[in-house]
Amino acid sequence: MTYFSTMGGYIAVASMFLAAPAFAQGYDPMAAMRQPPATMQDGDEAVQLDPELGNLPDTEGAEETYYQCTACHSTAIIKQQRLTDARWDYLWTWMVEDQGMYDPEDGTRETVLSYLKRHFSSEPRPAESEGASD
Amino acid sequence: MLEDNQPRQTGEDSESRNEQPASSARRSFLRTTGLSTLGAMVGMTIPFEGNMPFGVVPVMAQDSGEDLMSGKSGLTLLGDRPLNAETPAHLLDDDVTPYERMFVRMNGLVPQTALDQDAEGWTLAIDGEVETPLELSIDDLKSQFETVTNRLVIECGGNGRAFFNPGASGNQWTTGAVGCPEWTGVRLADVLNKAGIKDSAVYTAHYGNDPHLSGDPDKNPISRGVPIEKALEEGGMIAWEMNGEPIPAFHGFPLRLIVPGYPGSASQKYLTRIWIRDQVHDGAKMTGYSYRLPEHPVAPGTEVPESDMVIMTVMPVKSLITFPETGTEVATGEPTEVRGHAWAGNGDVQAMDVSIDFGQTWQKAELDPAPNLYSWQRWRADVTLPETGYYEVWARATDKDGVMQPPVVPGWNPRGYGNNMQHRIALVAT
Repeated sequence: MTYFSTMGGYIAVASMFLAAPAFAQGYDPMAAMRQPPATMQDGDEAVQLDPELGNLPDTEGAEETYYQCTACHSTAIIKQQRLTDARWDYLWTWMVEDQGMYDPEDGTRETVLSYLKRHFSSEPRPAESEGASD
Repeated sequence: MLEDNQPRQTGEDSESRNEQPASSARRSFLRTTGLSTLGAMVGMTIPFEGNMPFGVVPVMAQDSGEDLMSGKSGLTLLGDRPLNAETPAHLLDDDVTPYERMFVRMNGLVPQTALDQDAEGWTLAIDGEVETPLELSIDDLKSQFETVTNRLVIECGGNGRAFFNPGASGNQWTTGAVGCPEWTGVRLADVLNKAGIKDSAVYTAHYGNDPHLSGDPDKNPISRGVPIEKALEEGGMIAWEMNGEPIPAFHGFPLRLIVPGYPGSASQKYLTRIWIRDQVHDGAKMTGYSYRLPEHPVAPGTEVPESDMVIMTVMPVKSLITFPETGTEVATGEPTEVRGHAWAGNGDVQAMDVSIDFGQTWQKAELDPAPNLYSWQRWRADVTLPETGYYEVWARATDKDGVMQPPVVPGWNPRGYGNNMQHRIALVAT
């Protein structure tokens, strides 16, 4: 997909600026003001992305999340999100009740929601808080 | 096949982008979830799906239209299914936004009729609270009503969502979900008045033929509406051309409703029906949190009950700096032209100001009159950067009522609508 600049462009520019206090060509002050992208972190650990699962972070629940969600939409919209746990719960219900999402009754809901809340959250995660105090 | 999450009818040229073939363990997992990816695409379970050869797409599966994205140069892709892409500010410098720079916001899939540019037998129904229900062909529209051409801004209600904290769900648009193409068609009010709006009319309800992401043919991806007073106001159109060409597939071929000044979602693509209702429309994405704002101001992150959410209507005043591109080097002590566009959902913009000192002082910009109501307006200013170093240009539009763009993100809301904060670019004086 060579014809797009990607979201990654903004991220790269922002981090380049932080690393180099001198002005970086092409700097966008709006990029520094936006919500940072999902951390893709798991506690202190950077996680691997799984190209077979739409580049979702490769931790427990990735496979269930991929197949549950990509029946309707690609992983691109998931990876943009930084939401509270309550919003993730709401979105699940909205997708089942309004958007025709298949509602598995075998614990998949809990697996998928805990995965989404772990990686695509705007709430501080316990693992991150512990990491920060070390 | 099961792993191809970007359904298309001819996928030979894009196979290299597809996901790897999955393990048999994954395939068996998929089947146990009941309605599979493939089944969801066509809206039902597929008996003997396991016997279908790899690479065969059932004819009911819709093309996502992704291949057409090659015609959208320089856009930032937010999502591939549904397709959503925005335009960097410096690529929006044209007075009339060309096709290749117009943002893409799909709620569902691109209809096959649009991909094929096939308008054979297309009709538009006007029904509900009207004296005479109408069933109009495109030729009827062209022959029975005056044809008009207007530049009209279309902006996504969620443009600027990326700046809310905590995050708001949905596509993380920054500043580029906006454009101002030139639309040709008929006045919406002329068509509604021909049908004869009854006193009982309260709201419009818009329908198109785009398929729902789930593939369920009984679901609409989006069906929004506006108060009948807004629909009868100057500005609304039913258009069949964008920039002098049949409306492209991403933008609503063959007919698109344009309700300028309101969130872009009110401007239904692939228009087949305008139902005049005796109550506020409750179609897809009219209810819940979609295109709604809290009735009262809330602290960031508040869980607002649905009953406190009200429909978003008029879009706020806004502007963009489209030249130069952010981060450009300019000559110290010499005038540098900066320019862009300004627009507001309530009509003409009254004033435009720029600052080169982080909003401490402001200078007036030249502001051209709008060529027609609800077009964006060109503004220009010469700024002189007094010494070498880093500067930001901030741009601030003022609407006809004296309301200005704020320097910070205004009123947090659960879905991140209506962010009209001032746009900024970096300039380096050398």
